[in-house]
Amino acid sequence: MSAATIEPGSFRDPHSRVVEADGQVLRLLSEQGLRDWNALATSELFRGSVAEGKLVGTEIEAEGGADLPDGLVDGAAAVLRHEVVPFVSYPYEWTFAMLKDATLLQLELLRRALDEDLLLKDSSPYNVQWRGAQPVFIDVGSFEALRKGEPWVGYRQFCMLFLYPLLLQAYKGMPFQPWLRGSLDGIEPQECRELMSFRDLFRSGVLGHVLLHARLERRNADSNRDVKGELRKAGFKKELIVANVKRLERLVGKLEWRPGASEWSDYGPRKHYTDAASEQKDEFVRRVAAERNWGLAWDLGCNDGRFSRIVAEHARTVIAMDADAAVVDGLYRSLRADGDTSILPLYVDVVDPSPALGWRGEERRTLSDRGTPELTLCLALIHHVAISGNVPVRDFLGWLRSLETKLVIEFPTTDDPLVQRLLARKQEGTHPDYERGYFERSLGELFDVASSEELSSGTRILYVAQPKV
Amino acid sequence: MQTVLAYLDPGSGSMLLQLLLGGAAAAGIGLKMTWRRVLGFLHLGKKHSDPA
Repeated sequence: MSAATIEPGSFRDPHSRVVEADGQVLRLLSEQGLRDWNALATSELFRGSVAEGKLVGTEIEAEGGADLPDGLVDGAAAVLRHEVVPFVSYPYEWTFAMLKDATLLQLELLRRALDEDLLLKDSSPYNVQWRGAQPVFIDVGSFEALRKGEPWVGYRQFCMLFLYPLLLQAYKGMPFQPWLRGSLDGIEPQECRELMSFRDLFRSGVLGHVLLHARLERRNADSNRDVKGELRKAGFKKELIVANVKRLERLVGKLEWRPGASEWSDYGPRKHYTDAASEQKDEFVRRVAAERNWGLAWDLGCNDGRFSRIVAEHARTVIAMDADAAVVDGLYRSLRADGDTSILPLYVDVVDPSPALGWRGEERRTLSDRGTPELTLCLALIHHVAISGNVPVRDFLGWLRSLETKLVIEFPTTDDPLVQRLLARKQEGTHPDYERGYFERSLGELFDVASSEELSSGTRILYVAQPKV
Repeated sequence: MQTVLAYLDPGSGSMLLQLLLGGAAAAGIGLKMTWRRVLGFLHLGKKHSDPA
């Protein structure tokens, strides 16, 4: 086997590290990790949840140091091989409904694990990934044998990374994504407490999981007490964890986020297109999508996912991205209802896409580091990027060129009512580069334009382009 | 019995909270824990009875 690289985000658990080799995802286990794997592999939980698509498919690749990737033999008692998920995404790119479903999956697997005297030793939403709109738990290294008398070690992390983000969005309307992007460990109990008003204390889950949690943490901050040992000696029971998990499942199941009218949901999708122009645009996209089978496709500014769905007929995976969380949340719920497994909706603003984060700036990768597209749709987006986002037109095209992707791009001219609305908010002459002639010259310098078509509305032009070699 | 350390810090407050959230089902354990602490405070508990 050829050289492998350690996945930089998997260093925290010493018993289980992920490596990538030849496009395969492998997991190196310590002796302890191997014992935990054996306990999981023989469980009904493993068989059932893999078959249901809730746990990533996993096989043992090598045991006892045989045929391990070069340079990684030392210290590994065994290697597991995982099914590869189509695209890695992070919780700060998910919407409320996605984080809620990921939370319910985490709790369900924990409850089922406890039935067989297993436990999830951590509680990180980074352990959940997606097949389209279906969440899948990827960290089989998180399962370990339950040690009698010990409490749920991952409960605090569960609150910080799953529960508090959901509570804040559901009860306070506060978007959790900027916070999770700014703090990979999540929201501290005391931080969450500070944001809760007196009235909030009467809302489900706040008194116990937030107020008491923050208070107990503060009171025990400098304590040298061996609480874990005391609990074990006093007879802490598994049933207490199970009861807590069931209560949390009920609590999370009831949480809802009702977004206010967003920019897009405000005037509804596609009201600014005539039926004829809309069908013409569908047909244009369908023609390009049908040229071949695509691996990864991006739909930037996906709105309700209409074009993502067209492309998905010819692509293995479509990443549907939009900067409006309410729109993406709606798309996710619609895809979930359809049982979709090829379109992954993500909350991404192309003007401020996910950066590299964490230890050494390598733990969480940039959006494009996780896979660049073969085909990119950029429909009804450039006026938002250039006029609202103040990104120079040529710079935006340069970024698209750097993706080495076939491009379908729409340019709404300055006669377009939406463009005029955006321009009216700006001082006159602020965007001299937002002009059809300049756009076409810039596009032509960076891409070979295969074809273009003016929509019947007369103010929007579609182009299909290939990066210049 | 040796206390096995997890790679995560479970947080003392977070562990105690799990007992409080347990309500009536956890009351006996909470009382037992408190009783042991009282005995410990009065130096009446069994010394070195546990290798942990």
